[in-house]
Amino acid sequence: MHEFNWGLLIVVYLFLGGLSAGLFFAAGLADYMTVDDKPVYARVARTGAFLAPWPVAIGSGLLILDLGNWYRFYKLFIHFRWESPMSIGSYLLTIFTVIAFLYLFAWLTAEERAWLFGKIPATWKQVHRLNVDISAWRGRIAMVGFPFSIGVGIYTGVLLGAVSARPFWNTNLVAQMFLFSALSSGAAALMLAMVLNKKSPAEKHEIKFLVTLDVVFISLELFIILPYLIHGQLSSLAVKQALSLILGGPYTFVFWGPFLVMGLLVPLAIEVYELAPNIFKGHEFHGSRNLALTAAGLVLIGGFLLRYIFVYAGQVSSFHQMGMLH
Amino acid sequence: MAIKKKRYALVIDSRKCINCKACVVACKAENRVPVGNFRNRINEERKGEYPKLSINFEPEQCHHCAEPSCVRVCPTGASWQRKDGIVLVNYDECIGCRYCMVACPYDARYFNEEQGVVDKCTLCSHRVDKGDIPACVETCPSKVRVFGDLEDPSSRIHELLATRRYRVKEPQTGNGPQLYYLL
Amino acid sequence: MGTIRMDRRLFLKSAGATAGAVAATQVGCLRYFKKGRSSAAETKEIPTTCELCPNKCSAIAVVEGGFVRKLNPNPENPKSRDMLCARGNAAIKQVYDPDRLKQPMIRMGARGEGKWKPVSWDEAFDFAAKKLSEVKGKYGPEASLWSSTEGFQEVFFKNLGLAFGSPNLVRHPTLCLASVNLAYSATFGTVPSFDLLNSKFVIMSGANRFESIITPDTMDLIGGVMERKAKLVYLDPRFTVTAAKADEWYPIKPGTDLAFILAMIHVIIAENRHSKDFVATYTTGFEQLAEHVKQYTPEWAEKETEIPAKDIVRIAREFADAGARALYYAGRRSSWYQNDFQMRRAQAILNAIVGNWDQMGGMVPNAKLPKGEFLFMPWDEPKAPRVDEIKTAFPLAAAGDGVYLKLRENVLSGKPYPVKAWMVYKQDPMNSLPDQAKTLKMIEQMDFIGVIDVQMSDMAWYADVVFPESAYLERTDPVEVMPGIWPAVVYRQQVVKPIHDTKPNLEIVQGLAKRLGLGDYFDYTIEQWVEAEFKDLPIPMAAEHMKKHGVWAASGQPSYGKTLTPDHRFVTKTGKIEIFSERLQEAGYDPLPVYAAPVQPPGDRFRLILGRVGYFTHANQSNNVWLHEFMKENDLWINPKPAERMGIRDGAYVSVSSSVGSVKLKARVTEEIRPDCVFMLHGFGKKSKMQSLVYNVGASDAVILETAWDKVSGNAAFHETFVKVANA
Repeated sequence: MHEFNWGLLIVVYLFLGGLSAGLFFAAGLADYMTVDDKPVYARVARTGAFLAPWPVAIGSGLLILDLGNWYRFYKLFIHFRWESPMSIGSYLLTIFTVIAFLYLFAWLTAEERAWLFGKIPATWKQVHRLNVDISAWRGRIAMVGFPFSIGVGIYTGVLLGAVSARPFWNTNLVAQMFLFSALSSGAAALMLAMVLNKKSPAEKHEIKFLVTLDVVFISLELFIILPYLIHGQLSSLAVKQALSLILGGPYTFVFWGPFLVMGLLVPLAIEVYELAPNIFKGHEFHGSRNLALTAAGLVLIGGFLLRYIFVYAGQVSSFHQMGMLH
Repeated sequence: MAIKKKRYALVIDSRKCINCKACVVACKAENRVPVGNFRNRINEERKGEYPKLSINFEPEQCHHCAEPSCVRVCPTGASWQRKDGIVLVNYDECIGCRYCMVACPYDARYFNEEQGVVDKCTLCSHRVDKGDIPACVETCPSKVRVFGDLEDPSSRIHELLATRRYRVKEPQTGNGPQLYYLL
Repeated sequence: MGTIRMDRRLFLKSAGATAGAVAATQVGCLRYFKKGRSSAAETKEIPTTCELCPNKCSAIAVVEGGFVRKLNPNPENPKSRDMLCARGNAAIKQVYDPDRLKQPMIRMGARGEGKWKPVSWDEAFDFAAKKLSEVKGKYGPEASLWSSTEGFQEVFFKNLGLAFGSPNLVRHPTLCLASVNLAYSATFGTVPSFDLLNSKFVIMSGANRFESIITPDTMDLIGGVMERKAKLVYLDPRFTVTAAKADEWYPIKPGTDLAFILAMIHVIIAENRHSKDFVATYTTGFEQLAEHVKQYTPEWAEKETEIPAKDIVRIAREFADAGARALYYAGRRSSWYQNDFQMRRAQAILNAIVGNWDQMGGMVPNAKLPKGEFLFMPWDEPKAPRVDEIKTAFPLAAAGDGVYLKLRENVLSGKPYPVKAWMVYKQDPMNSLPDQAKTLKMIEQMDFIGVIDVQMSDMAWYADVVFPESAYLERTDPVEVMPGIWPAVVYRQQVVKPIHDTKPNLEIVQGLAKRLGLGDYFDYTIEQWVEAEFKDLPIPMAAEHMKKHGVWAASGQPSYGKTLTPDHRFVTKTGKIEIFSERLQEAGYDPLPVYAAPVQPPGDRFRLILGRVGYFTHANQSNNVWLHEFMKENDLWINPKPAERMGIRDGAYVSVSSSVGSVKLKARVTEEIRPDCVFMLHGFGKKSKMQSLVYNVGASDAVILETAWDKVSGNAAFHETFVKVANA
């Protein structure tokens, strides 16, 4: 039996990294969206900015815990190896995390900043000098952050896609697939947070914005998965054998059932059902709270399962002749 | 005097392999490989229906590739390659991310739980540097492996590769494996 | 897990780290990593001789800071062919095995209960001497049994038994190769070696030479077969590694090898393909043979063996055509069937008529080398006859080795006289004898049992006192001459000091002898003994050479044909190679091999067959942590056809039972065995809890094997048990 060198912690890490990227992207986008020069999605942007840095911070923590020698993680930053996706990714992730926190800070109100700095002893003067209002920089921070968020989204896929020894991963579609999955997860997570916020319930136009975003990303993801499957089938034997892991192999059920149908198609259908009457017939957007919750939850589960399937099935796939594994 | 280039490799006549595991235990002792981990192994392929049957054994370890993917993906440079082709792990730089294990087409690496680092076949570089041959090569009852320098035209492996048919495993990965299996 | 703890302690010590404190820290581990690679300064290389199996390969121990780091093959020994197998390499773990016997122990609870009291050597010696003296006083010295397996220090143990006054020494051959030795001796007057390095055509019945490693045969044959210098025809009910490497494999019906050989002889003589000159000059009885084998046609043999007649004819022709370079290989563990002696005799005869005797690529009488002898004080020969009645029951058998199974029957019946004390050296009768329940009965009726061993074998587990012997890497042993085509002298010298409170066998024997009033017979040291042996070696500066090299071999080139002179007398009655044996006739046996069809298992039963893998020797290495990794549990090989019929699934537990016992083990449903046989590997299902890796894991074949032996040699017949298999 094949041993798994990478396990659940890596799955969670890839998922959380992508989730942050998606949250940041959606938040930044919401910040830029204006109607009649008025920022109509400011609440969406603020919620997104508040959420974005945490998953990647937790994910990076998990990654460090997963190392054989966790305290040596600093070595990642005393070397730069342009050939190693993990080396590039570590820098990318760190810069992104800093930007995400900066962006969060930029969204803090004066009271919130006062509360935050109130926790810090008054004698730490240098720290208190950081208590400045940078809300005017939001747009610029988002602009700088966009490429990094896209980069993080792509990186989680490139990390796997760059491994030529694993035919399941080693296609030029995995990075895009992971990116769109990340962006859709971000939109879904944001939607979940907005809808669940009882204090100031999400308004319909906000939900509509996020649902639209999600529909676009899910559709793009589907457009990647389809060619991934078709190309794989038309590819060399090793890739074909690798794909058989999800087409008749041990990961078939989880790929087609929980991931593709429950994690992509069902939420897409729900969201289209919500959106279509509004777009095509000009009816009012339903904005059903329960449907939004369901769709968002399923998308998040789907995003997690995609990473799960890829991390595990990918490690099983190899160029080894069948039956020659020890 | 010009420094002569070296390129170490193994030629393997797996038909002579009787699965006695001498190479595996010799490696374990020579390199203090923990119980449960292995730097080399013997793959088995059993086929057929009684009484038409066959068994093939195939020793395998790190292929010390020309373009090792493990070295490429290593984020800290802990996985590295000597000029003579031997792929090694610098234990002080290894953070234990196991990316190299995932990237190895031959599953030739293992994770040393006790040290928290990845480890692998060193082609017994410490022996080779003293002019000895790797432990697995030396101990083998049927002398399945032949160790040598591909750059040395008088070496036995040079001769074998020039005169015998052989294959390498999974060349499609582009790693340029340097374990040559005689046909 | 104890093993891991041991490892850690080991490397920390060798890394020079201070004991204990930093044991588990990463820092300590990393220091070890670096230091392990650069501490060449304190490295010593000491040549010695491996003891993990009877091959006696030459090894060079690499010692670092007082610890054995590595064992490398020593290329100077031509017999071991510059190799060390998995077992040889794993000998390090014999020394540093946490399960090892670490001090003498006396049993506290019931036998086999496992309650032990660690005692001093004096206490252990006093206790054993008292018990042995009691038995001697009550029943006479012949009431003591001294059983042992070969080893360089076995001689001291045997001598103690003899000096004690017991005729009852019993050794391993009748559990191993007694029938083949006797068959070749009866034919050629000696047991030859087989020149597989130069042979062109080899037939092997069982013997599984590629898994049951014998030096240099295994290496010579794999080289020959794979470089297409030799053809190998292999007969075995099981598709072993040897079968996989052979040019032709025939899953012969078990017990019918004799029919195959007789039919080959039939074809060769009928087609006049035998070596006429050789037969006329060196043999006697060919005419009787020609007449005798007329009945054994290939067509008849096909019915017996299930090997097609046309193949038998073809193989016979190819064999005869290869002539002097054709070999019917004898094998070693020849304890298979009750007709084993006659089957081996037929092989010897077949070899004789193609004229491969003393030829390159044929059978070669062993060359020997002289060795000095230490002269110790002689004792009176034991007066009583042997309890196994070997002289009357097996008149041709080697009396010094005894006949184990007959001996057990007689001990159990108390006839011709009672045996009440049992001393065991380096042997595990609990697993090496069939019918473990019977062995346990034999144990029960003993007043005293003492065991000398490196580890707590199952036999030791049932002893009253155990004497821990030092591992071979901790000992200096007597010098051994290894006769053969490439004769050599090997020497085993101490590599490291004993790490526990153990002693070499000689010192254990001396401790007992002193208290038994026999001290004068053993009044010497191992150094004196070895010094005397060095004296007559044909080596200049023998002592220095042996200490420095560990081995000395005569010139590389074998000398063939020394016995092929018209005036050479073979050590047989007629002085010729005896195809027809008057000696056998006089002793009441068939003078030529007569075939009798073996009984086959009834419908619902299987014949149990046994065999080996390359990484365990006998029953005693499955608990070695480096070897145990390759097989953690033994299983029962069963063909898919009967398995399907009986609803047995691969990997599920089955019960396997015979008339004497029943075991449970996992089924391995495999195409690689005949449908009428099942197979299990030896060495698992231990009763000793100090074999912690294999205690109660898998099953011991000894539990279900029934007692049967070859009529002529008394060799145990291990393939005569029919078993029932059912889902457990």
